[in-house]
Amino acid sequence: MIKTNINLEEMSQKEAIEYLIESVRPEEGSIPASLLGDPKIYDIEHKKVFLKTWLFIGHESEIPNKNDFITRDVAGYSVILTRGADGEIRGLYNMCTHRGMKLCRADAGNKSSFTCPYHGFNFKNNGDCVGVPLQKDIYGEGFDKSGLGLHKVRIETYKGLIFGTWNDEAESLEDFLGDFKWYLDILVGRAEMEVVGPPQRFIIQSNWKIGADNFVGDSYHTMVTHGSIVKLGMVPSATYSKKGYQIHTSHGHGLNLGTPNPDFAFPEELKDEYKSNLTEEQFDVLSNLKNMIGNIFPNLSFLISHTKVKGQLISNTSVRLWRPVGVDKMEVITWFLVEKNASLDWKKRSRESFILTFSPSGIFEQDDTEVFTDITAAATGTMPLVKQLTFNYTMGLHRQPVGDFVGPGVVFDDKFTEANQRNFYRYWLDLMTT
Amino acid sequence: MSLEKMLATYEFEQWLYEEAKFLDDIDFDGWFNMLHPAISYQMPVRVNKEGIERPDYSLDMFAFDDDIELLKIRVDRLKTDYAWAEIPPSRTRRSVNNVRLIEYVPNEKAVVHSYLTIYRSRSTDIHHDLISGERQDEFTFVDGEWKLSKRVFIVDQTTLNTRNLAIFV
Repeated sequence: MIKTNINLEEMSQKEAIEYLIESVRPEEGSIPASLLGDPKIYDIEHKKVFLKTWLFIGHESEIPNKNDFITRDVAGYSVILTRGADGEIRGLYNMCTHRGMKLCRADAGNKSSFTCPYHGFNFKNNGDCVGVPLQKDIYGEGFDKSGLGLHKVRIETYKGLIFGTWNDEAESLEDFLGDFKWYLDILVGRAEMEVVGPPQRFIIQSNWKIGADNFVGDSYHTMVTHGSIVKLGMVPSATYSKKGYQIHTSHGHGLNLGTPNPDFAFPEELKDEYKSNLTEEQFDVLSNLKNMIGNIFPNLSFLISHTKVKGQLISNTSVRLWRPVGVDKMEVITWFLVEKNASLDWKKRSRESFILTFSPSGIFEQDDTEVFTDITAAATGTMPLVKQLTFNYTMGLHRQPVGDFVGPGVVFDDKFTEANQRNFYRYWLDLMTT
Repeated sequence: MSLEKMLATYEFEQWLYEEAKFLDDIDFDGWFNMLHPAISYQMPVRVNKEGIERPDYSLDMFAFDDDIELLKIRVDRLKTDYAWAEIPPSRTRRSVNNVRLIEYVPNEKAVVHSYLTIYRSRSTDIHHDLISGERQDEFTFVDGEWKLSKRVFIVDQTTLNTRNLAIFV
């Protein structure tokens, strides 16, 4: 029996988790609105999801040279991601081990060591503490710096994507991504890819899950939310977004493949490079790709979008992080990626289409942000919890997956289903209640 | 400062005030008439650098990187019934100040820098967004009128605290 007088604030964490087990029912297509607005759930999420799973940090091309570094956030904690003199990528907690001051305040740069602004402790970019001002004089002869190395965040990469986790017990990144890697190969492994410029960052007053939900499985909204794009003739028709496949794998990952496409969405001259990096089946999917939209659990969404800009077809590839900064607030961080060996003209037009469609000024993006903001406002506070408001996620519950698709995972043969969102929330619930 | 430059400064101040009025009044056609057909309209991503290393903005990633065709797509989109980001439109108030004439060739070209603060209010939201930065503008004299031929807007935030840029800077 669900309790009728719910007050999560006064519940212990254990009681709150019991409430989640009772009320979150992905298999029945029922998700409480309060998951998007309750601070207690947000706090548990931080501990049970964000401190447990792999989280995206950046792309290898952002630190191509020895001693390059970027500073990024991993579950709310600043991390220096650096390529050492030995070429190895390391994630160092951006905190001096002496008194806790933040070591580095730049977004990016090239440095072989970091000096603390508080007392001047100096750390090599492999984390070793190599300098303590006036050491012999004030700490004595026997002082041992070796225990003062910077704390490390566990780092693993897949096809250039760098992930980190604070959980030393977490399974390997390869296992975490599992079957989903087959699709990530098409996204970022099809060719040598590079990030262009720094990521774009902006704040939306939205719970982070709305972004993940939107990208993992919501092709349905395209017809209405992005109706203006159809009117402008940038995409074929309002129902184009239905065609293709919706696919999910374990760990809550999911994507939507828009197919078919009469045009090859990528630079023709790179076909040999694609073929050398992909299997025949993957190349076949790439050749027919109109778009690809998905989410790596929990909060890294990705997109390949093929649109007509100034009368010419062009595709762009991007990844985006829905970084939670509060129950009702997230920082959106977007990276634009392009084939390193593409022509300058392609790179320029691809970036142009990315900025026009999926950046803070993007004419797709901006309509989504309006929706995300209003959903969050409506889900916030006590009423949605007390009244037990739920959202309906039953679309496609009656359908059976197809068995003959070339790629792995659970595959449905058009994109208008909410199977991916149910899968996302199932894994979310598993983590929350473990 | 010469009288000629004082007058020119005044003229560009008035130009920028008029532009602000068009944009705040959501008169996109009026605004469009002030633009040069060969305009470059850019807003680079601002970054945090160590120390005073400059420039502290990106040379290869932008929130806007438009020519006249792309600006027209944005304006045409805002005129459809589906441009939810601006339905209903934001109430904006653009304040332009610290206008400085950097280069001036009468009846030919001018470079003008100015500060811009945009107050933005959406719907019933009691919170507002503030977008501030420096405009680095270039003007070209065409058929007796100054047209904006280049704008680089250097925004003052590395993380933009506004939900989108469905408005112009």
